[in-house]
Amino acid sequence: MGIGEIWNLIAMEPMINTLIVLTRYLFNNFGVAIIVVTIIVNAAMLPLTLKQVRASKAMQALQPKLAELQKKYAKDKQRLAQEQMKMYKESGVSPAGCLLPLVVQMPVWIALYQSIMHVLAVIPENLLGLSKYLYSWPVVYSTLPLENQFLWLNLATGDMLLAILVGGTMWVQQKMVMTPGADPKQQQQASMMLWLMPMMFAFLTLSFPSGLALFWVTSNVVRIGIQYSATGWGALVKSAPKKQDERDKKYKQRISEVEKVPQGGDIVAPTVTQEEGLSHEEPGSERQDRGGGYPKSIRAIKRKPRRGRGHRPKRR
Amino acid sequence: MEIRSNIALKVCLAVVLLLVGLTSFGCIGIRTSPQGGSGGIVADNTLFLCPALKQASGGFGCAAPQTEGKLVAVSTSDGNRLWEVSLEASRATSGGYGCAPSVAPVAIYGSPAVAGDLVYVAGYNGRIYAISASTRLSQDRYVNETNPQPIIGGLVVVGDRLYLGSADGRVYALNGTSLEKEWEFKTGGKVWSTPAIEGNTLYIGSFDKKLYALDTGDGAEKWAFETEGAIISTPLVYDDTVCFGSFDRHLYCLDTGDGSLKWKFMADSWFWAKPVIYDDTVYAPCLDGKVYILSAETGSEVVGAIDLGSPISSSPVLVGSEIVVASEEGKVFAIDTSSNQLRLLTEVGEVINAPLCASDETIYVYTGSQNLYALNVESGAQLWSLAIK
Repeated sequence: MGIGEIWNLIAMEPMINTLIVLTRYLFNNFGVAIIVVTIIVNAAMLPLTLKQVRASKAMQALQPKLAELQKKYAKDKQRLAQEQMKMYKESGVSPAGCLLPLVVQMPVWIALYQSIMHVLAVIPENLLGLSKYLYSWPVVYSTLPLENQFLWLNLATGDMLLAILVGGTMWVQQKMVMTPGADPKQQQQASMMLWLMPMMFAFLTLSFPSGLALFWVTSNVVRIGIQYSATGWGALVKSAPKKQDERDKKYKQRISEVEKVPQGGDIVAPTVTQEEGLSHEEPGSERQDRGGGYPKSIRAIKRKPRRGRGHRPKRR
Repeated sequence: MEIRSNIALKVCLAVVLLLVGLTSFGCIGIRTSPQGGSGGIVADNTLFLCPALKQASGGFGCAAPQTEGKLVAVSTSDGNRLWEVSLEASRATSGGYGCAPSVAPVAIYGSPAVAGDLVYVAGYNGRIYAISASTRLSQDRYVNETNPQPIIGGLVVVGDRLYLGSADGRVYALNGTSLEKEWEFKTGGKVWSTPAIEGNTLYIGSFDKKLYALDTGDGAEKWAFETEGAIISTPLVYDDTVCFGSFDRHLYCLDTGDGSLKWKFMADSWFWAKPVIYDDTVYAPCLDGKVYILSAETGSEVVGAIDLGSPISSSPVLVGSEIVVASEEGKVFAIDTSSNQLRLLTEVGEVINAPLCASDETIYVYTGSQNLYALNVESGAQLWSLAIK
């Protein structure tokens, strides 16, 4: 028995026949069957996925120590590698721990991909090839060929909206697992991958039957759910304060420019009374200085109130 | 951290490249673009055939598959290519995003039909082509102008009319000269089957699991018979019986008068190819690799099935008193109808899916490797071969 036959026997045939039987019992709807099979496969691989997520989390926890080691042995790469391995060993974390489950899951994804493409059988060659994978169950034979229509989709052709969904969900999932790196070069590479993979998959989605894209979107959504339950939103929400900091930095810069030219421009330096007038607190009440704000010279400066909600001066 | 980041990045890149590679180079073994490749038809010592389209290979990601089909005329005496006419893809029917071709390819699955000087061909792009064998001038037309859908089955010409089924779920009768629609009949599913006509009745199967008997004059339904599976095989009509295979793995034989069931026979897989009848015996090739030899009267097995060892998707032909049949793996056999003994004619070693074509004592085999072979049925000797790409 060749490797191809073994692959067909243990992966392709069960997957294809499951898809067909599920289609029959899910209102003869192949789209629903794809979603359900993707969820079942994800559920079956949940222990592996969780192992991967936990290993990633453990690695994340080691980041400060690793950064210290990097600083300490910056000039001795060999020693650095030795110390890193030693630390992994001591803390019981394996760098391969977060990659091995991914590698194990790959064949399952490929089998699912192949099965969907076979079962769709949009051209005679595919339908002819499908016959050798079928079990001799009457339900399987009487269900074929499957209906390709699902919602607005023709599962046999590419779809623009689904391509955007594939790219979007993949970006979200990747962003959630992204770890902040100290090395700007590494960070740059990671950022590139964050965009490259979703864009590539979105492009591939356009070239393939949308039945496959439906599998990708479902898979991404399930993984986002698993990731969220294990580690929360991760870098997806952590990036927000960072943006705030940058905005503040620009704000400070503009203010310092304005300070050089005190009159004119769209920023004004109100007097204490004016500031009280803009405040939402009761007039005369003392505000506690919590510290950590802008420098004293800047603290008295506020943006000129803009029109719109939340910026309207309080009526007296 | 550096090590970890590097590993993660490399794995991500490897996953992307693996997926792109597997899908782009077809390593996963699934084709999404139609290839076609019809059987041949012989008229006036000329064999007409539509070769399979070249598939994109080796081009990373967006290597576009060939979309332009062709009709080739070959001399049956020496295998010389007489002429060929390009069948151009004219407009987008669906998709066109990403790497998908923007026009539906003119892949031809059904064998051409000949009537006088005209050769008719039906394309996957939903278009019918009529080509003059003498002038090579052609005219073409969408069968369904508003919603062009693939035509997989072949055409049948009777008198000045063309009959065909389309994946838009309709059966059409067209005028043979103008190609204009004369009538249409809507079924409940796609139609991939080639019609069979006897007298003034047309028989055709549909994905809606029904075999329809229609009046050739106006397309009115005479009767319909429902099976448990889709029907894509071409029906065989003899005496007052119509015989066809269904995806429920049964071969059905019905009374042509009222569509009542005479008998049915179950195999281990689909009856994809059209059966052949000789001397009250039906020879039914099946995708389970066997040729079932059944009584035309009762449907019982006359002798045990003959196992060819590989699926049979190519329709067999009757030459003299022998049934010539080809297995998918490239072996061509002759079954002697008097003794039901199998004889290996030749082994071309290439995939055979297209229907066989016969003329006198010669059979023509078009393979998946895009080679056309002419074989003598008596001796099995190869008379000539021609690469048609």
